[in-house]
Amino acid sequence: MRLPWIRFAKQKDELNEELQAHLRMAMADRMERGESEDVARRNARREMGNIPLIEDVTREMWGGVWLERVLQDVRYALRQLRRAPGFAVTAMVTLSLGLAAAVAMYTVVDQVLLRPLPYRDAGSLVQITEMGKDGMPGWGNAFLDIAEWQARSHRLQGIAYYDVEGGPGHLNYLEGKDTSIGVSNATVSANLFATLGVQAAMGRTFLEGGNGAVRPEDAHTILLSDAIWRNAFAADPQILGRMVKVDGEAYTVIGVMPRGVAFPLTLAHPLVWVPMIPSSADKVRTRHETPHYETIARLASGASVAAAAHEMQEIQWDVAAQYTDQDNRDHISSIRVTRYEDTLVDDSVRKSLLALGGAAAVLWLIACVNVTSLLLARATARQREIAVRGALGASRGRIVQQLLIEGLMLSSAASLVGIVLATLTLRAFEHGLETQFGIHTVLAPNLRVLCVLLLLTVISALASSVWPALAVARAPIEPALRQGTAQSGTGRTQHRLRAALVVAEIAMSLTLLVACGLLLRTIYTMRHVPLGFRTDHVMVASMTIPSYRYANRDLYKDLYAPLLERVQHLPGVESASLMTDVPLGKDFRIVFSFGDGDGKTATDTRRSKIRAQARAVTPEIQKVFQFHMLKGRFFNDTDTATSLPVVVVNREFIREWEGEGSDPGKFLGTPLFGFRDKKQAVVVGVLDDDRQDGIAEPSQAEIEVCMPQITPGSTFYGPTSIAMSIAVRTERDPATVIPELRDVMRKASPELANSNFTTMEQVVEDSYGSQQLASRLLEIFGGTALVLCIAGIYGLLAYLVTQRTRELGIRIALGAQRVRLMAMVLRQAGGMLMAGLATGLLLAYATSRIVGTLLYGVKPHDPWTMAAVTLILLMGGLAAACIPARRAAGVDPMAALRSE
Amino acid sequence: MAKRDVYKNRIELVQGTLDMLLLRTLQWGPQHGYGMVQALRVHSGEVLQVETGSLYPALHRLERQGWVRSEWKQTESNQRAKYYRITAAGKKQLSSDLGRWQQMVDAVAAIMQREPEGSDA
Repeated sequence: MRLPWIRFAKQKDELNEELQAHLRMAMADRMERGESEDVARRNARREMGNIPLIEDVTREMWGGVWLERVLQDVRYALRQLRRAPGFAVTAMVTLSLGLAAAVAMYTVVDQVLLRPLPYRDAGSLVQITEMGKDGMPGWGNAFLDIAEWQARSHRLQGIAYYDVEGGPGHLNYLEGKDTSIGVSNATVSANLFATLGVQAAMGRTFLEGGNGAVRPEDAHTILLSDAIWRNAFAADPQILGRMVKVDGEAYTVIGVMPRGVAFPLTLAHPLVWVPMIPSSADKVRTRHETPHYETIARLASGASVAAAAHEMQEIQWDVAAQYTDQDNRDHISSIRVTRYEDTLVDDSVRKSLLALGGAAAVLWLIACVNVTSLLLARATARQREIAVRGALGASRGRIVQQLLIEGLMLSSAASLVGIVLATLTLRAFEHGLETQFGIHTVLAPNLRVLCVLLLLTVISALASSVWPALAVARAPIEPALRQGTAQSGTGRTQHRLRAALVVAEIAMSLTLLVACGLLLRTIYTMRHVPLGFRTDHVMVASMTIPSYRYANRDLYKDLYAPLLERVQHLPGVESASLMTDVPLGKDFRIVFSFGDGDGKTATDTRRSKIRAQARAVTPEIQKVFQFHMLKGRFFNDTDTATSLPVVVVNREFIREWEGEGSDPGKFLGTPLFGFRDKKQAVVVGVLDDDRQDGIAEPSQAEIEVCMPQITPGSTFYGPTSIAMSIAVRTERDPATVIPELRDVMRKASPELANSNFTTMEQVVEDSYGSQQLASRLLEIFGGTALVLCIAGIYGLLAYLVTQRTRELGIRIALGAQRVRLMAMVLRQAGGMLMAGLATGLLLAYATSRIVGTLLYGVKPHDPWTMAAVTLILLMGGLAAACIPARRAAGVDPMAALRSE
Repeated sequence: MAKRDVYKNRIELVQGTLDMLLLRTLQWGPQHGYGMVQALRVHSGEVLQVETGSLYPALHRLERQGWVRSEWKQTESNQRAKYYRITAAGKKQLSSDLGRWQQMVDAVAAIMQREPEGSDA
């Protein structure tokens, strides 16, 4: 801003010099013609005219005058704001709160919903999923099915497929010459990268064979992501052709992908890609043996998702006909085509994000309304000053421009504070936001967010200052000049306008507070849900080890059992156990389903639909978590690899297996499924229902098997080699045991030293899910709204009382009772509150459905919440009104009249 | 009062002609503002007196449009003054202004010199 100013200053000096030279020459001529110096100067001056006016008119010609004027206005605005620091700070803080909320939420929305995908024309990428008759999506699609689609679909192009080893959370180990790093490992078809529209930054991608699969000569090649290349190989330019191992298998590096390219996007770890080459298992269609792949494709130009889905369904009828087994056929008979973008974000996440975004927007609106109200009051107070400027020749446009610039200055300052506040808010909620919304990048305002902030800043300034500016500029000059004292009436419309603003503020705050109240009740309810197990003094860690090293050994016997033994004997450890997944944990899950039985009875069909959560545990788990047993016994030390295989199920399992209302006691002794060598696993105990997926999710059917009974070859060995967690019950503060635990684990296997220990309480906390986060954020938004709203009520009433001091003085002098004056002010407050609360309740009633997806144990239109919130706002509002009311009652009639 | 009488036989400039006159003056050579006023006065037979309040805004406007350029120089009487010089674009502008001016003069003349029809009285 400094440069143009300097330029103007210089030009101004030059213009002045030019005119002075003109004057001197005129004088010299006149003196030559015989006039005396004095006369010559006077005449020359007269002939010349008004020099400052000439300068002004000339400067208009420079074209940059508007800028000069803006600068002038900026300096004037700064002076004005400095002169009223209380007003300036209040307005700025108010606005910055609103801006901070809006910017923080927009940053999250931007990261989660608006994230540009690193693929060419990502909008036309679709995911294809086979579904059962019942609409249940399957595990993935078989190679033969995909090949058929590729051959016949015209509306979809480049149908590519991939599979992520061990699921999204699974960690594989990549070993170079002297590095070992955890990676996600995706097996992909060769045409995948062409479909995504990305090319290798270095080297090449896989060679394409039939059906988009990788050609056999590329069988032992690997593609690295940019992140892996940089982290594990220090961006080695000679990387191509190097040998690396993934889970013990050797591959040659043939390419490095560009920075930022990842696929699939949902993985937490950096990626490597290995080739998909069809095996003999891929050449058949047997549901449980044939490998399954996720499938992605690109819409042909001009094709819509619906049209593609229609075409695919037609093809799928024929595909299904080729499944010989009726049950298998039923599981794949339908098909679903979804935009890939839409598969990345859960619907519930989208809804809760939009709800929170909406709440932030409302808070921002409240802040704007509040500042508008402040500016109106200030404009009234400045009426005289503005009238003077008008009288001196300032045009209305100029006055409006000046006031707008003042508004802009305010909101710019507010946006600076706001962005700091927003960053702090994001930092404070980092953990929650990242776990709830699956954000793997740093949450910080980026360029797009800054653009939005700029936009919001300008809108805030316009929204809050246009009205007051117009109101003032339109006011006639003369009366304001004539009797311009603080006492003069400032028009009923303006008071009514301000009252309307306060009413709007109350209504919006009530809406926010209702949402906040509903979530608080949700959290309260969730905290009181019986979990079915104890969480105090329990610490858990999920262990990831390069399990391929134990390929031909019994993982449990060689690694886990000795480790557990040592942990149990650590000082401070009360008991310790192993389990494949932690209750309420989100890392890993085994879903167990049953075959169809022999007969095709209704019972068999029902049972084949059961999706039981399966968990392999050691007997000590009962000591750690103290699950509630309903019937029978839990595992104990007599359950070994050689004894009868036993299982424990939960009540929900029996409900689904046996039908409603069956007696859990009678279920003991039932053989359930083949465990090992034709031996059936027998039910020995029944657990009460517990929470597995989330607090808000009802208990699901569950089967527990005893880990010491699992040996290589038994049904559950596979999963136990993928994931294992350890749970420890401590005698003292869990945190104090961690160093020793780590030590023991490092000795067992070096990779285990990095295991992440969490208290079970934190796991439970995280499982409150978006509700917890939403309630915390809404507490802040609602609290801020409440404060702003109360400040708004107070501000308006205090202002009105000040304006009416003289009137109040006269009333008191004429004998009005002070109590009555107080009641008068309170009545005014009551009127605004009633109008605001009534509008607010209507609004809340209409909008509380938006947070509906977040609620648990409470209805969106919960009358108690609405009543409580209304009461709080009412009390707050009346309390705010009390101060001006008492001041009205305390007006000293003499002082009030004398002050005229 | 005497001053006013001096100006009596001077006429107001027709709107839009000032630019043209200034450019024309500069065609005789670079000149400063005062010099231009004097030149216009002398060469119009003491009829045209350009007001300073119109002169300088006009000069600065011409400069912004790139028709004249300015520089500080010494006058014969050893004073520092801002001299204006016509540019190539200014010359082009002048010739088009002149063309339009001529058209205007002819048009006005044609109307003014035409005898009213059938007004024998």
